[in-house]
Amino acid sequence: MAQPRISVSQSDIVPQITILKFEGDFDTASISRVSGGLRQALEHNPAFLVAEMSEVLSISSAVLGELMGGRKAMVERGGHLVIAGLCLEIKSKLTLMGAHKVFKFFNDVRSAINAYKWEYEGRAEDLCLSFPPVLKFVPLVRQMTSRLAKQKGYSGRDSFRIETIVDEICNNAVEHRRTGSPDNVELSVRIDRKKVEIRVVNESDPEKLRMLKEIMKPDDTAPEKRPAPTADQKRGRGLALVKMLSTRFDVEFSEKGTSVHATKLREE
Amino acid sequence: MNGPFTFTLKFPGDLEYIPVVRKFVSDALQANEFSPKFAYRSEIIIDEICNNAVSYGCTSVDAAITLTFRVFGDHIEFSIQDEGGNPEHIEKLKSAVRSEERPAPEAHAMHTSGKSSMGLEIVRMLCDDLTVHVGQNNLTSISVVKMREETEPEEAGEVPA
Repeated sequence: MAQPRISVSQSDIVPQITILKFEGDFDTASISRVSGGLRQALEHNPAFLVAEMSEVLSISSAVLGELMGGRKAMVERGGHLVIAGLCLEIKSKLTLMGAHKVFKFFNDVRSAINAYKWEYEGRAEDLCLSFPPVLKFVPLVRQMTSRLAKQKGYSGRDSFRIETIVDEICNNAVEHRRTGSPDNVELSVRIDRKKVEIRVVNESDPEKLRMLKEIMKPDDTAPEKRPAPTADQKRGRGLALVKMLSTRFDVEFSEKGTSVHATKLREE
Repeated sequence: MNGPFTFTLKFPGDLEYIPVVRKFVSDALQANEFSPKFAYRSEIIIDEICNNAVSYGCTSVDAAITLTFRVFGDHIEFSIQDEGGNPEHIEKLKSAVRSEERPAPEAHAMHTSGKSSMGLEIVRMLCDDLTVHVGQNNLTSISVVKMREETEPEEAGEVPA
C-alpha cells in the first residue's frame, strides 16, 4: 500500500482553477486526509477544481463519497469539481459504480483546463482539414465532423444537422472544382459551446462558379410567381438544404476560389 | 484522381481529440482499400504519436498539432508536428528513436513520473520506418512509413488447404 498524499496548487495557466493532486492508495482510512485536502482547496475559492489522479493506485467508495461532497460544495458556489488522469482500471471501476454520472472524467489536466475554458470562457476550438477532391472521401469528412460535435457535447440531432451541412458543402466543393485541379479542399470547423462555424474553400470551375453566383443572387420575384421545382430537378437543392439547416450562410467568390461559410447555432 | 492522396489535419493539442483523429485516419485508409487489420494497426500508430505530441510537445494551452498523411498504392506515410516541447522530453525522444538495439523498457521511459512508456516501441514494431526531426524552438516532427501488408488468406477469402 502506498501512503496517500494530497497537494493543493493553483493552476499557472488559469488562476481560477485549483488542482488537487492525489497520490497513492486511498482507502477508507484516508477520508480525513481527503476532506482536509478538499477544505484547503476550497479556501482558494476556485471557480473550477481539478482532482488530478494519475498517480492514484486505488480509491475506495468512501473516498468517492467524500469527493461527491466536495463537488456539491463546488456546485453550490457555481463551480465544478472534475477528475483528471485516472488510469483505465480505476476509471472502469468508478464507471461501474456510476461515478461518471456525477463527475466529468478527463484524460489529463490540460483537457480539464480546456473544458473549463470552453464552458466558462466561451473559448472556440479549431479543427482544419485539407483533403483530396474525391467524392469517396466526403462521407469520412462528414462522419468526422459529427463525431467531433458529439465529443464536444452537442446532441445527436444537432450533430446530424452539422454533418448534413458539411456533406452538402463538401460534395459541392468536390463536384464543382476546376477540372483537373490537384488542389485539396480546405475545411475548417470552429466549434464553441453555442455554435459551429464551417468554412469550405475550393478552386471552382469558372462555368460552375457562374451558375453558383446565379443561384446566390437575391430573388426579387414574388414567391407565387417563382417556377415550382420539378421532381427531376437535380441542381440547387443542396444549397437550399444548407440554407435551411444553418443559422447563417454566405459564399465569397475570389480569383483564388470559392469560400462557403455556414454557421449553425446549438439548439439542444 | 488516382493518388497519392494527401490529407492534413490540424487539431487542438488536447487528448480528447485523438479518438476522432484516429477514426478518421482508419476510415480514410479503408476507403483506399487497405485492410481493416492494416487500418487498425495504423490507428494504434496514430494514437501513440498523437498522444506523445500532445503530452510532450504542447506547452501552451492553445497549442495545435498538425498531422499529415499520404496514402500511396503500396504504403502510407504519417508525419506529425507539434509546437515544441521541453528539452528534457525531446532528448529522451531522440535517444529512444536513435537506439538500434531494443533496450529495456525503462530506457524508453518518456514519463517523468517514472512510468515507462512503450509508445514508440509499439510504433517501431508496427511500422517500417520511423524518423524524428527536432527543429528550431524544439519543434518536433515524427515521420512514420508503413508498407501495405501482404494479403492474408482469410482476408482474400481463400480457404486454407
